Amino acid sequence: MTENVDRETYSAARVRALESLLIEKEIITGETVDKVIEFFEKDMGPFNGARIVAKAWVDPAFKERLLADTPSAIAEMSFPRGMAGAEGENMMAVANTPEVHNLIVCTMCSCYPWPVLGLPPYWFKDPTFRARAIREPRKVLKEFGLDVAESVEVKVWDTSAQIRWFVLPERPEGTEDWTEEQLAAIVTPESMQGAAKVTVPAS
Amino acid sequence: MQIKFEQFAAASMLGSEDSPPRDNGEILFQRPWEGRAFGMAIALSKKGHYEWEDFRQGLIASIAEWEATHCKDDPDWDYYLRWLSSLENLVLESCLVSEEELEERTRQILAETGGS
Repeated sequence: MTENVDRETYSAARVRALESLLIEKEIITGETVDKVIEFFEKDMGPFNGARIVAKAWVDPAFKERLLADTPSAIAEMSFPRGMAGAEGENMMAVANTPEVHNLIVCTMCSCYPWPVLGLPPYWFKDPTFRARAIREPRKVLKEFGLDVAESVEVKVWDTSAQIRWFVLPERPEGTEDWTEEQLAAIVTPESMQGAAKVTVPAS
Repeated sequence: MQIKFEQFAAASMLGSEDSPPRDNGEILFQRPWEGRAFGMAIALSKKGHYEWEDFRQGLIASIAEWEATHCKDDPDWDYYLRWLSSLENLVLESCLVSEEELEERTRQILAETGGS
């Protein structure tokens, strides 16, 4: 592990060197970086996506608008203003149905709809996942614990600079009388990536 | 050998804790420097020192370079090292900082923190 420790020490020093130089030259301030991190911790995250999904489940007209023009539909909701260039410009929602299951991936790097899902989990960035999700999505989903029936088509959406996809999962049975808030609480990031279905927690 | 996402897949089936953050994502960054590198990349683009798309292209190139020289399941894979490398390249290319300055400052910091 010595090599890892060295690489770690070096990377940490490199980042500190970079930041201290940029601050000295008054290109950025330390607070700017803090603000960006805070924004991602507090304002951008899967809790936004969960609210969108819950609204689409209870409001069919909103769902229609969401699928037709995702950014406009999202703009109807009172979210913090998205940061320009924060990968939220061209989001597009795709709906799971009894006939189609959608999975999102970024084969080139790690593009992700930040405003609605936050930052991607580590496995989304993993080289093996990125390659295999395109090649054998059914098998990959099975490894995630999701067995998609042969009769259901699996569609894989490769995210790019032009379009950041996210999945509108199916509303689980037994939630017919739930409020939007209750529904939002059970929507997981994995379900909006297409790596899982939304389930009603057993309790 | 299990690769990272297979570990996640197995963990999620076994109900282990080792799954990605579910709600507010407290575990955004595993190591403090990841967050700083992430924040710097966005802040510089926000301030107009480069286009975000240029950063993205740099990241794609940096990831592709690693993938061309490693097996995809090589445990050496480290996403934020790719991020850092593209950030460094772009900062140098945009002449915000010179390579000599960066090398010199890194050496100083390593000397202060006891790294070699």
